Amino acid sequence: MNEASASADRHGRRRWQASRIIQYLLLQALIAALCVAALQLSLPQPPEKYRLSAFGMTEGGTERAVALPQFTAPRYAIENSPRFTAQFVRPGDEAGRAWSVFLPRFTNGVEVAVNGVIVLDSRRDPAANRPDRNTPQIADIPAPLLRDGVNDLSIRLFVWGPIPGFLDRVWVGPDEVLRPYYDMRTTLFVTLPVVFSAWQAILAVILGIMWVMRRHEPAYGVLAAAMATGFVQAFLQTPMGETPFSRFTAILISSAPLESALVLTFTLLLSGLRWQRWWLVFFVPGILLALGGLIEGQAAARALFPYLAVPMVGLSLAIMAFVSARSAVRQRNVASFLLGCAVTIMLTCWIVDLLSVFQIVPNRIFTARLSYSAMLVAIGAGLTWRFARALNQVDGFAGRLVAQVREAEEKLKASFAREEERARAAALARERARLMRDLHDGLGGQLVSIVALSERGNGSAPIGEAARAALKDLRLVIDSMDDIGGDLMLALGSWRERAMAQLRSHSIALDWQIASAQGLPVHPELRPWHVIQIVRILDEALTNAVKHAEARRITVRIETIAGADGVDRGCISVTDDGKGFELAADGGGAIGSKAARGLRNMQNRAARCGAELGLSSGASGTRVGLKLPHRFPDSDAATI
Amino acid sequence: MNASSDEPSAQAINILLVEDDAPTSWRLQDALTKAGYQVRSAGTLTEARAALAESAPKVLLTDLQLPDGHGVDLIRETRARLPETEIMVISILGDEESVISAITVGATGYLLKDAFPTDIAATVRDLVAGHSPISASIARFIVRRTQNSVEPPPGPALNTTKLTPREIDILWGIAKGFSYAEIAGHLGLSRQTVPGHIKSIYRKLEVHTRGEAVFEAVQQGLIRL
Repeated sequence: MNEASASADRHGRRRWQASRIIQYLLLQALIAALCVAALQLSLPQPPEKYRLSAFGMTEGGTERAVALPQFTAPRYAIENSPRFTAQFVRPGDEAGRAWSVFLPRFTNGVEVAVNGVIVLDSRRDPAANRPDRNTPQIADIPAPLLRDGVNDLSIRLFVWGPIPGFLDRVWVGPDEVLRPYYDMRTTLFVTLPVVFSAWQAILAVILGIMWVMRRHEPAYGVLAAAMATGFVQAFLQTPMGETPFSRFTAILISSAPLESALVLTFTLLLSGLRWQRWWLVFFVPGILLALGGLIEGQAAARALFPYLAVPMVGLSLAIMAFVSARSAVRQRNVASFLLGCAVTIMLTCWIVDLLSVFQIVPNRIFTARLSYSAMLVAIGAGLTWRFARALNQVDGFAGRLVAQVREAEEKLKASFAREEERARAAALARERARLMRDLHDGLGGQLVSIVALSERGNGSAPIGEAARAALKDLRLVIDSMDDIGGDLMLALGSWRERAMAQLRSHSIALDWQIASAQGLPVHPELRPWHVIQIVRILDEALTNAVKHAEARRITVRIETIAGADGVDRGCISVTDDGKGFELAADGGGAIGSKAARGLRNMQNRAARCGAELGLSSGASGTRVGLKLPHRFPDSDAATI
Repeated sequence: MNASSDEPSAQAINILLVEDDAPTSWRLQDALTKAGYQVRSAGTLTEARAALAESAPKVLLTDLQLPDGHGVDLIRETRARLPETEIMVISILGDEESVISAITVGATGYLLKDAFPTDIAATVRDLVAGHSPISASIARFIVRRTQNSVEPPPGPALNTTKLTPREIDILWGIAKGFSYAEIAGHLGLSRQTVPGHIKSIYRKLEVHTRGEAVFEAVQQGLIRL
């Protein structure tokens, strides 16, 4: 049954996880669909009337009519570059306005001539030479070149690989009309990547510093390396000729596989996996590409790029998507979830780019690189956020730790106090045991002998009585040294026995009344010397009743009285039915000086314990009331 | 509280009093004889053993400090040989050190050396009637041993593990000075059963054999095997 429930549990968990996987996949599909839809939106285009579409294309000596956009072969020699020619009309009323040729997209380079005069060579613009960028070009046509009516436009397309050449539609028209479209594309495809690259550079520095300070978190270091690589890539120019650094530059520009390997490593580390040596495999394509470029030159690097870099980027993205998905579904890792969504966007962009390279979609706007840069910046920002949050946690932890340490200190102090208290009680108990043995063997035995002898001799009764009183006092002292845990009732229990023995010999009845259920409140601060004082007061009251009052019955009443201030206080009263005595105004009595001294003694003892002694006497008897303090004083402060 | 009158069985009760201090011995002897008991007295352990061999007393009253040995040995021997004999220890102060050590070998109560003669006779009469007296301070000592503490308080070893919660409640009542009737009322018992409970408490505190003593010492952690 247990096994069945466990299996059901496992089954339920699996089903639950499956539902999570489906949810995740659906979300990613939605993201990809949105991404594709967004890519389908074309950028705004200049007015249709300025567009040139009918071109004659001269390729390898033969001319044919083509409509732009047009793909060409992946590679031509410079002298065999295809030439596109067309004619455009400038109306006479436009003579006062400057005209331009706008080329939104081409691969790899263009040379534009109007009426046989070259007005633009894009190879002189380094940014325009990167086939992975969507750099637009605009060429001002010098006013003297333009004729009213028909003009000739000739475009030479330079193609040096690694992807097929491409020439998008061309617009010729007033500069003020075309330039805003050019500026928009420049902002989007030239300036924005530079901004991203600058952010990457800054984040590379920050993450690099983090990694240097926290070597045990290699994720930071790996991401810093990836960002530095991306930054270097973005700012290098495509070498057009063979120079001492051209090969090195070519390697760096084609470092995309290395970069993707670094990002892949970062993703794996972020999802909680530990660095494995076999992960070095990820870097093999990048290293091969670098070696090829170094040994065979930039042409080789360019030739190898489609076979090594592009699949490597795709493979990395696929692995990242899988790892992020697993981490997001299994461990519910929020960072992995967000990364997974970003990877889905990049993967979609990468596939769309690939389709355009293979001329399946009639468009050539590469978005993978742009989305990657944006994602890296997002990751960097996310990591910085995480770092700040970790700092906050550390602060909170430190605060908690301080509080805990304080708490522990207090506990320790309390436990020290308890330990001291216990040690004190143990020492007292040991001392009491020793004293008791001494008294038992010495003084006690002798006093008992005196009692016994006095009973045999005639007229020595006072001696016996004194010896008996001494024994009684001895017992009181020893008894009050016992640890009674603050419960005065335990001391009164012993006192009751002694009192009963004393009263029995005088045939006086003892009426013992405990009015409250628990007797007296417990006083943890109660010390033996308090107990002795209280018991001696009671003894004195009892002795007075026996000796002077001729009482027949003595009532001891013990109760706890709830005070007006909500504090419980114990009360003990000793009442006799004797003849009583007259109290004088000064608190003394019209009685013998010995009894007066006894009363004063009782007052003193009560004051030393912080207790209140009440005395009333009349013809029907005497009452001694003792009201215990809420808290017994620590030291014997009263003056005697 | 008049023990000497109308007490026919007192004649048959013989007591062995073992006390080395002569005045105290006379005093106790006087009190008991006047109450009608038949009293033999011994001053040393040897004399006491001889007297016990001669005839078994109904009651043994013994001091602990004897010139030629310790009263505890005498109590243990008597308890083993004469289970019918009631044993009481004579104590000067009624302190737990002497009384508890006597209880653990089989005594059921104590008598103060300076007690008034009437009280002496009454205590013995109660003992013979099956009522073992227990004082508040002894009850207090026992119940404080039933409270778990890190280190046992000083004083004689005492195993309280056999005591039932009801017996511990009774001891608490005695320690706080409640009378038997009050305790019985609080606990919903009959007043007559309280002395029986006290006797049972004494018996449970007794260590019967050497083996049991060792067992209990181990139980209490006094001996580590």
